[in-house]
Amino acid sequence: MSREDLHSKKFDKLLVANRGEIAMRVIRACHELGIKTVAVYSDVDRKSPHVRYADEAYNIGPAPARESYLNIDKIIEVAERSGAEAIHPGYGFLAERATFAQACYDAGLVFVGPSPYAIRVMGDKLEARRTVREAGVPIIPGTELGLDDGELLEAAPKIGFPLLVKASAGGGGRGMRPVHDPAGLPDALDSARREALAAFGDGTIYLERMISEARHIEVQVLGDFRGNYIHLGERECSLQRRHQKLIEEAPSFVVDDEMRGQMGAVAIEAARSVGYVSAGTVEFLVDKGKRFYFLEMNTRVQVEHPVTELVTGVDIVQEQLRVARGRMLRYSQDDVKLHGWAIECRINAEDPYNEFLPSIGTITTVILPTGPGVRVDTGVFPGYEVTPYYDSLISKLICYGETRGEAVLRMRRALEEYRIMGVKTNIPFHQHMMDSHRFLSGSFDTNFVEERFSMSDREAPDALQAAILATLVAHRQGQQASQIVAPGERDTSNWKWLSRWERLSR
Amino acid sequence: MKYISTVKGEKYVIDIDQEGRITVDEQTYEIDVQFLSDSGVLSLLLDKHSIEAIVEERDDTWEVLIHGELYTVLVQDERAFRLEKEQGTSFDVSGDAIVKSPMPGLIIDILVEAGQSVEQGEKVVILESMKMENELRSSRDGVVAHVYVSPGASVEKGQALVAISSPPSDQS
Repeated sequence: MSREDLHSKKFDKLLVANRGEIAMRVIRACHELGIKTVAVYSDVDRKSPHVRYADEAYNIGPAPARESYLNIDKIIEVAERSGAEAIHPGYGFLAERATFAQACYDAGLVFVGPSPYAIRVMGDKLEARRTVREAGVPIIPGTELGLDDGELLEAAPKIGFPLLVKASAGGGGRGMRPVHDPAGLPDALDSARREALAAFGDGTIYLERMISEARHIEVQVLGDFRGNYIHLGERECSLQRRHQKLIEEAPSFVVDDEMRGQMGAVAIEAARSVGYVSAGTVEFLVDKGKRFYFLEMNTRVQVEHPVTELVTGVDIVQEQLRVARGRMLRYSQDDVKLHGWAIECRINAEDPYNEFLPSIGTITTVILPTGPGVRVDTGVFPGYEVTPYYDSLISKLICYGETRGEAVLRMRRALEEYRIMGVKTNIPFHQHMMDSHRFLSGSFDTNFVEERFSMSDREAPDALQAAILATLVAHRQGQQASQIVAPGERDTSNWKWLSRWERLSR
Repeated sequence: MKYISTVKGEKYVIDIDQEGRITVDEQTYEIDVQFLSDSGVLSLLLDKHSIEAIVEERDDTWEVLIHGELYTVLVQDERAFRLEKEQGTSFDVSGDAIVKSPMPGLIIDILVEAGQSVEQGEKVVILESMKMENELRSSRDGVVAHVYVSPGASVEKGQALVAISSPPSDQS
């Protein structure tokens, strides 16, 4: 790979190839920098804020993502038609598809992100492992690619049990099997391969040591076209459910200055190994002994980037745009100082009391929390329909404090202020977590939410008040209904109607 | 006027006929309720305790959002409450519990077949929606009476997926 196939140039108009809160985030950064914005939207997103806030907006097709937000040809065509000179992919959708970055370059458009080469290498788990290991980055002990079952069975004792059978093309936990003893291995190999083949069309599997009581901690890095790199410290992302992050914070409870420096340096080496440019995230698993291992690199802006912005003061999306315009990073490593603590709760349309099932419906009311130390990144509004077409993220609630304790208190207060009606949300889950001793003491790992956290002990302290309020509203509605009917029947006697009206409103 | 309001399985007898007062289970409170426009946002002062809430009607019940928590309240006046009590609660015509799709989506897998015994809470159907696989579970112990759909089928919200009848021992 070479730097020549990358390109950057100053641009004044940018297309945002995304929707929802991240599209809003990019549009805001562009407008702050004086860059005009072009939104694209599917049939169901005409009323969405990213359409309303952008300078121009183009319909790109039906609601299903593969017919709109994943339609590379259509998006490139809109960029050309609108005169946009650059494309920001956000996260999800096309953000980590090397073919999309390549299509942008081929069309003479700046892709706000790393090179297609970097996306491709880091998108292949095994190639990523091999590449960063050569750069001296610690990886979880495991096997190479392309071993047959016999070789895998032979390699297993050297890796040690418990171990994980993983799919090379895997993600989201699919094609992954934990194995606790040698006897369970053959079956796990079979089922992981079958699942990987079905889910990804690629049955390549490998073995990896299982790190128990692991934390998921990631490091934000930034790189420019001159080969300058900085890291912005870590984010603690261990609170997950089925591999979906729910709460992130910066910094991490377990990382001290020395460890932060080491992780940052390693993360930069991983980025440098693929000539990385723009914002990226290197994910690590951290074991009980605070040893850290490379997990993967996300070659895009992350959902949880705001917590890093709040503790470093660096606007990550603005920095992406500057770099893509051919400028140098505004900061050197010495400029980056952590200050305070930030926590992000992902507010999803799902029912925490019922297996976190997604909740479909129309949002009727939204009242955002405000006040000191509160940031809300959202793309929904009253009248917004939560559909099965896109993910269930309603918004990101981010709170800042001088200390972790202050950030938690702010988060509790903000969660209580937040009002979303029409769909069920996981706000009670976050409230329950902010009250839990394990969370407050920082003693949790990636299995905590699924294995040791329950909503069943959550009390409903306002049931009486709810009963009273519902009854008052029902009563008022009953009254109004009879009043609306009443005037039509008033032809006989106004006095009769009046006495009835008095009775009703007594 | 007297109402019987049910929330989280708890019944409250609420009398709201007096001016500025409300009686709940024979305890009287001073109330002041203000409606903020038509958005469903209410301000309640209950013995001077200030509560902001959103109240909306949904499927014959009332949803009340207070301090982040959503309460579903069934409000019945005395007559409706008596009527329902006399009729007894009807379950389903056939006596079967129906596992319905809570949202539109794609059936990934059916984990049971007709005639099989299931326990309450047992996974019955895997439904993919909103990019996630969701596990739908049986609401009771019983026997699978009927499977209405097969893997790969697209389903609508509220569509019946699996019927579960009571265990044979109960029927005999």
